[in-house]
Amino acid sequence: MKMNRRGFIKACGIMAGYAVLGLNTVRTAAADVMNFVAQRQKSVYDADANSGIYKYRKSQDNPMIKKIYDHKDGFLHEGPCGHMSHHLLHTHYVDRSARVAALKDKGFKFNL
Amino acid sequence: MRQIEGVMYQTNAPKGVDPDGIFFVQVDATRCEACGSCEEVCGTGAIQAINEDGIRQVVDPAACMNCGQCLISCPYGAIYEGVSYVDEIFEKLKDPDTIVVSMPAPAVRYGLGECFGAPTGTYVGGQMHAALRQLGFDYIWDNEFTADVTIMEEGTELIQRVKEQGKKDARPLPQFTSCCPGWVKFAETFYPDLTPNLSSCKSPIGMLGPLAKTYGAHETKSEARKIYTVSIMPCIAKKYEGLRPELADSGFRDIDATINTRELAYMIKTAGINFNSLPSQQPDPILGDSTGAATIFGNSGGVMEAALRLAYEVLSGKKLSNPDIKVVRTHEGINTADVKVPGFGTVKVAVASGLANAAKLCDEVRAGKSPYHFIEIMTCPGGCVNGGGQPLDPEIRASLFRSTVAQINKRFRARKVGA
Ligand code: SF4
Ligand code: SF4
Repeated sequence: MKMNRRGFIKACGIMAGYAVLGLNTVRTAAADVMNFVAQRQKSVYDADANSGIYKYRKSQDNPMIKKIYDHKDGFLHEGPCGHMSHHLLHTHYVDRSARVAALKDKGFKFNL
Repeated sequence: MRQIEGVMYQTNAPKGVDPDGIFFVQVDATRCEACGSCEEVCGTGAIQAINEDGIRQVVDPAACMNCGQCLISCPYGAIYEGVSYVDEIFEKLKDPDTIVVSMPAPAVRYGLGECFGAPTGTYVGGQMHAALRQLGFDYIWDNEFTADVTIMEEGTELIQRVKEQGKKDARPLPQFTSCCPGWVKFAETFYPDLTPNLSSCKSPIGMLGPLAKTYGAHETKSEARKIYTVSIMPCIAKKYEGLRPELADSGFRDIDATINTRELAYMIKTAGINFNSLPSQQPDPILGDSTGAATIFGNSGGVMEAALRLAYEVLSGKKLSNPDIKVVRTHEGINTADVKVPGFGTVKVAVASGLANAAKLCDEVRAGKSPYHFIEIMTCPGGCVNGGGQPLDPEIRASLFRSTVAQINKRFRARKVGA
């Protein structure tokens, strides 16, 4: 894996930490922390698969979704992408390139 | 300025202003140690050295996607947030004439507990709802409900786009997801020619705001004009999204205030609520119930997996017996997969987190070489669970670590200057 700056800083911190705290303490702390994104991700998938937290695992099975899209008297009775959906739930986008182009003309450098 | 969970915040609750003129993220030059971590993680180059000492600044809001990756990576806590609605929300909660609605995103419940001493990633959804009730929110609605709505809308849009290929005025493929506000601004700024590929769906919070003030108001017999919607996000860029002028389809501003996970923790602590002793509670129905498909929006690859759980059943007419579609789960980088759907064929998908990876996929689409039907992009590596508004990585926060790195850096710089 390519070591980025954050990884480098962490590695420095850990190496310096060895000197201060001793090997074992630091090793445990480092292992815990280096994976913190993975730990949050795992917790998300565990909750998804835990029927005690989420009774249903597919959006189309959510009873409140069935209610709002009900063909007879649902608020979005025309179904997804219907008229009301387009009014409330869909949007449009704006070209924002001009300001960055102007900055580049002034000599600013960006990654793109 | 005040400190909230290790991050400095400016008290600033903008209304009706152009969000393009605001620094949502900025460097306090007096605290910057010139280490360069921020520049390393920034996908656009918006944060750069402004003098010979290497002191960094976000040079212009136009180039900044407000993702906050620089902020959560700064070992010195030198980067602050420019917008905070915390005081205004406390006032609205006290006002008997205002109906205050809470709208937390999926990833908040996997980060919030850390501010109260729980191990990284601990799920605290039930306590979060209880805390919001104790804070005095009138309705505990949940952005996870509109994550489910997003799947219905965005999945349907994808199926429509696939079917209309070859016809006149067909919308282009691949379809990009539009849930991540950093990515949406990035596409608008650097790839405006590709915005027809962006799903026209608002993000889940962009949907919950207007639904709260129309459907929610109707179902609870509330006056829509009295409703004040609070978006609670793992994200800083959502503060920008909430101010977009076009998000006013309910007849009012759809989203009145946006805070992040750290600010919610601050509000709970300020109100004197003992979070760890709270019982687990459910959100209010109508706009509160959700599914596992909604909660995985917090992970990179989650929107994709949730959408495939719908697309598979709609396209094949069959039940998907095992909803786990693990091939699209993404920790970092780009993930691609061919998903075989009986009676339809192969759906080709890609998932990317991080803007550098997004740019690679965008360049492919621009060159007409993209083989995919559907592409999910998240600005933050790993997805919203690692968002710029989440509690900080304990190692980045550790003072021992910070001071050691400071010493290493000073020595390093001294050597460089001396050489
Ligand atoms: S990460 Fe923080 S200390 Fe390092 S250069 Fe950026 S703002 Fe300065
Ligand atoms: S908020 Fe994101 S885009 Fe803006 S300077 Fe920081 S890392 Fe770069």
